Amino acid sequence: MILVTGSEASGKKTYVRSLGFTDEEMSYDPYSDAPVILNVERSVFEALRAAEEEGLTADERVARTEKAKINEAALLFEQLKDKKVVTINEVGSGVIPANRAERIGREASGRLSVLLAKEAEQVVRMVCGIPIILK
Amino acid sequence: MIILFTGGSACGKSSYAEGVCVKMPEPRYYIAAMKPYGAEGEARIKRHRAMRAGKGFETYECYTGLKDLKFPERGTALLECICNLTANEMFDDEGNFHDPYDDVMAGVENLINSCNDLVIITNDVGAEPVNYGEATDSYIRVMGKINAAIAQKADKVIEMVAGVPIVIKDM
Repeated sequence: MILVTGSEASGKKTYVRSLGFTDEEMSYDPYSDAPVILNVERSVFEALRAAEEEGLTADERVARTEKAKINEAALLFEQLKDKKVVTINEVGSGVIPANRAERIGREASGRLSVLLAKEAEQVVRMVCGIPIILK
Repeated sequence: MIILFTGGSACGKSSYAEGVCVKMPEPRYYIAAMKPYGAEGEARIKRHRAMRAGKGFETYECYTGLKDLKFPERGTALLECICNLTANEMFDDEGNFHDPYDDVMAGVENLINSCNDLVIITNDVGAEPVNYGEATDSYIRVMGKINAAIAQKADKVIEMVAGVPIVIKDM
């Protein structure tokens, strides 16, 4: 698996196309059969936002997001490790947000990046549309 | 020679880029795209002015419409920065916005054609979750597109990290 990381709009998808993959082979859904899965941080955030349901007490919400954080990263990792290419945004810079789901989402995305990078044969970081081979 | 500097806020882009410019031939033009909004903006501009003093720059305050900027003769230009220029071209004072890509790139193209050496400073604004609402999310995305387009034209692209230059493109 090749992991492509970088900021939003840094040229990740364009780079994946240059590897010879067509748009039909790409999907944002990690549970699809596509060989290329894009922006997997979105799935992390969506799962965590879903866990922040209304009507729960603060403690219940914490427990649910914590559980979602651990489960989601593990589930996604299992799902993604045998893909051809995975792209993920770097989302850990800037101010740590006050909103819990957003905060934990950044943490979970970062952890997932580390897991995927460890598994990947190649790790590429995009800066201004330029691929930098990290691994 | 076209050089693009990128990186986060306050990573040392400006002072390093100025150092690069003073090694290039005169005349030197500094294109300031930052509108002085409030005391914080004034202070920032003052700090940059003091940094540039004695380095032989002629300052052009140009917040939009860089495509019409004319220099008395060809020389070295330092454009600071793409993030301000893009915001100025994109948003009006009422908060309305439109796609600034063509205006920004036409301005950059004009500078490329009217200078011998051009140093451009930009900012990596996309290293956070994109979830600020339509206006800011669009800004982050178009900044990425503009940065990639300028990087393609540039002879050198340098990412600054804690004041340390990392060369990511060198033709």
